[in-house]
Amino acid sequence: MTLYRKSVLTVSALAMSASAALADITILAWPGGAPEESLRALVEQYNETKGAEIGSKAELLYFSRDNFFDKMLSDVAAGSTEFDVMLTATYNVGKYAPFMEPIDDLITDDLRSVFPQSAIDSQSFEGRFYGIPTDLGVHFLYYRTDLIDQLLSDAAWQGRYAEISEEFLGTAMQPKAPGDWTWDDFMASALFFTKSINPDSPVRYGTVLQLKNLLFNVMIWQGIAASYGGDWLDADGNITVDSDAYRKALALYKRLVELEATPADSLSYEYAEANGAFGTGRVAFYTQWSAAYASLVDEEEYPAIAGKFDILHQPAGSEGIKTHFHALGLGINAASEKKDEARAFLSYLGSEEAMKMYIDGGGQPPVVGRIVEEVAGDRPDMVAMSSHAGDYGHVMAGGTSASALDIYTNQAENFTGYWAGQFDIDTAISNVEAFMAGEFDK
Amino acid sequence: MIVSETGPRDRIVGVLRWVIFAVVAFVINLPILATVMTSFKTNGVINTSPPPLLFEPTLEHYIEVLGSGRTDFPGYILNSIVIGAGGSLLAVAVSFPAAYAIARHGVGRSWLLPLVTNIRTLPLIIYAIPIYLMYQLIGLLDTWTGMILIAATISIPVALVLFVGFMQDLPIDLDEAGKLDGASQRDILWKIIFPLSRPILVAVLFLSFITCWNEFLFGLILTTKEAVPVTVGATFFVTSYGVKWGATAAAMTLGILPPLILGLFAYPYIGKGMLSGAVKG
Amino acid sequence: MRPWIDRARFGAGMNLQQQERRSARIFLVSMCVFLALILGFPTLANIWFSFNEVTFHNLTGDGFIGFRNYRIALSDPRLWDAVGYSIKFAVICTVFEVGFALLLVFALHPLLLRRPWLTAILMIPMMVSPALMGVMYRLILNEFVGIVPGYLEKLGFTLNFLSLKYIQFTVIAIEVLQWTPFAFLILLTARQSLPYDLEEAAAIDGATGTRFNVLVVLPLIAPAIIIVSFIRFIDSFRVFDHIFVLTGGGPGNSTTSLSIYIYKIFFKQNDLGPAVALSMTLLVATLALLYFGLKLAVRRDPA
Repeated sequence: MTLYRKSVLTVSALAMSASAALADITILAWPGGAPEESLRALVEQYNETKGAEIGSKAELLYFSRDNFFDKMLSDVAAGSTEFDVMLTATYNVGKYAPFMEPIDDLITDDLRSVFPQSAIDSQSFEGRFYGIPTDLGVHFLYYRTDLIDQLLSDAAWQGRYAEISEEFLGTAMQPKAPGDWTWDDFMASALFFTKSINPDSPVRYGTVLQLKNLLFNVMIWQGIAASYGGDWLDADGNITVDSDAYRKALALYKRLVELEATPADSLSYEYAEANGAFGTGRVAFYTQWSAAYASLVDEEEYPAIAGKFDILHQPAGSEGIKTHFHALGLGINAASEKKDEARAFLSYLGSEEAMKMYIDGGGQPPVVGRIVEEVAGDRPDMVAMSSHAGDYGHVMAGGTSASALDIYTNQAENFTGYWAGQFDIDTAISNVEAFMAGEFDK
Repeated sequence: MIVSETGPRDRIVGVLRWVIFAVVAFVINLPILATVMTSFKTNGVINTSPPPLLFEPTLEHYIEVLGSGRTDFPGYILNSIVIGAGGSLLAVAVSFPAAYAIARHGVGRSWLLPLVTNIRTLPLIIYAIPIYLMYQLIGLLDTWTGMILIAATISIPVALVLFVGFMQDLPIDLDEAGKLDGASQRDILWKIIFPLSRPILVAVLFLSFITCWNEFLFGLILTTKEAVPVTVGATFFVTSYGVKWGATAAAMTLGILPPLILGLFAYPYIGKGMLSGAVKG
Repeated sequence: MRPWIDRARFGAGMNLQQQERRSARIFLVSMCVFLALILGFPTLANIWFSFNEVTFHNLTGDGFIGFRNYRIALSDPRLWDAVGYSIKFAVICTVFEVGFALLLVFALHPLLLRRPWLTAILMIPMMVSPALMGVMYRLILNEFVGIVPGYLEKLGFTLNFLSLKYIQFTVIAIEVLQWTPFAFLILLTARQSLPYDLEEAAAIDGATGTRFNVLVVLPLIAPAIIIVSFIRFIDSFRVFDHIFVLTGGGPGNSTTSLSIYIYKIFFKQNDLGPAVALSMTLLVATLALLYFGLKLAVRRDPA
């Protein structure tokens, strides 16, 4: 440490919060929204109780969401010791496993009384466990109850709905309750609520899609492909992206973009912008991560939709209802020099007390049914989430392999390219298949 | 003045010039103006469409950005100041003597000057990766020292070109007179050339500081928590905090302010320095 | 007259001069050592990586594989898309930036001569970090909270600058709006350094207004125009920050510049070897271009 750095650090330590200097372990966690709020509260609690007992203190570290995995990968690959506890996720535990410390010893009966086996398995790779699950991600249909109620009761609206569906989809359809929707109903309703198609619509757009060139956006979309029976691989390990299911699902988004049933700047949207569009009351319904629920119910932040929206499972395809799901978790950086402190924190994190607190703060951990029932009154999203994951959850075959993250990224580039009109559907699909073949070959 | 602008036609031309100025100034500064205004709006006002022109200003976003302790924003600003100041001083320290050798003695003019200038023409991304590995090896990742070295490196090409251009314009007689007085090359550089170079030193220091402050890519890749510069820190707000545009706007306002203030004083020097340096160097 | 040309007159002191030159080399040492330390090792490392099988799991490389990384990198058609995009982007941006700057110099020079402080207002955008500029545009162009769509709608236009139709235009426009001030500053300085007599003399010959600007000013500031075009072309060619923040190179890869492309194959695809091989190719290509460009420039220079 050079002299000037020392002296300026001393001065700045006085001026700023000095927490950095005291922290014993650093936790790299997923940024933003309820999970962040909730984890902050939990870490504070840990530092005051369990952490204080054993003389360890935890500090949180966040990267920006856009380049999170790029940054984390280069750090762990280079053997960084900047953080001791790091993020894991179902879709990349395989990729990061070589840089992580297995934590099989933390999978105790106590832990099994908090998390179902499926949640624990979501953090495992080749038979070893790498993380304590903290957040389950599934997709909900978020919809405006006031608008849908009127659609289901207003004869004039229903007539218009029939006309629009006839014009654009070829059959005159009747509005259905969102619980009974197929993707065709989703499409028809999206067009009906789009002002440029139906000038009487009280909102500007039927739905909002997130089309920025990001892997998470493919995850939201791929529930559609899965609901038509699409998968990455068949039972024999052949790549099956070039299928009717994928084509149907790709075409659905394409149609919504072309008919401008989603905001015209959707191609630069990600999680935050989509919530903004729905939260400011300009959109009738959309599919979004379960995590958005906690912020959308905040009436101060989103007064326009306060008390006017609800959540449901996604619409159905020919093979029923499917949602992508994965769990985020926290595990140990193999290069960490403070593995015992990290273990102590993770063991606290996996306790029932900690998880209940995490739920209180707005987090959505994949806990056992018993705990979900206890919080059911305050947290309808927790109930919906755990039942959806169980009933409709789908993980693409190969979706937990070491290549999964890169495949999602490649799909994001090619599929958003198709939706934007840069490639045709055949090019997009064949690009993805070629890339996947190369990855699974490695 | 032969062409005095007093006739009615001249007055119209004069007004037209003002109109052009106003329109251009408005259009190019619109994002900055809007961001500053957004940073003083409450969330309710931000989510009103179309945005109202008049609103009651609030400081809540600044309090959130600076005081909440969730991100170390004052720390990011400090980092940027240290990196910018250290980087530009270091760049001047190594390139000023080099420029003297090149401009006054022609040493390295044929190979060194183009080679160093070439650094500026490269997409810097090609060095990001090996520098990452090198820094990891010698423990410079996420440190001020590491970031200052990078900042100096990206500033050197322009600094060198500007210094060479400036020194070529200084009369050679100065050196000759110095030599007659028995001054060494070192004395000529520091006692004769250096004091005369004050305007270009100011230009280079300011320009380098702005360049360093605004650097994004290396900040993104090479820092994690201790040395995060404000350009990277401000983007944390965008992606991580949902649609908290107010806080994002406040963070950005704070992030652009120091180079902006410096730039407002320095631009005439920068213009002259760039022109003489680039055209002659 | 340039001083270093003047010095030729002191030809008699050749030996003394050579001696001086030799001792002057000491002043180059600190810069050369510094750059060798910071960029020398990475360059060597890049060469090593580019001929090796490297992965994130094995950062030292598995062994020599010849030119395979180069072959993989250069045979990817998306590379040529990215190169094409960068060139197109750089050319369009440069033309508009320099063109606008020139028009502004003609239009505003008399005004700014009398009120120099006004110039400062036009300089603001170039002081702003391009990454943050990208975020700012994301804010003001957003359909729901942005002021631009908000007011355009009030005026009866529904125009969305981030939509499929306009995104290419917008990405270029942002670069042009931010960097026209730079071109303007250099050209204005060049214009202001022209002697005032020139204007008087030209007025006597009947050249005023546009005629004066085109016939007299334009040729005189031509060197500045060339330099500014060169600088802007290079900077636009390397574009990364604002596009990365705004579109991430998408939709698809339609705004993927060469810098973003290299970032993507390294970090998103984890093809370390090809990414580095591509970097080295680029390094050699720019060096060669600069070398030949310089040769050409020297030949045209009578000195």
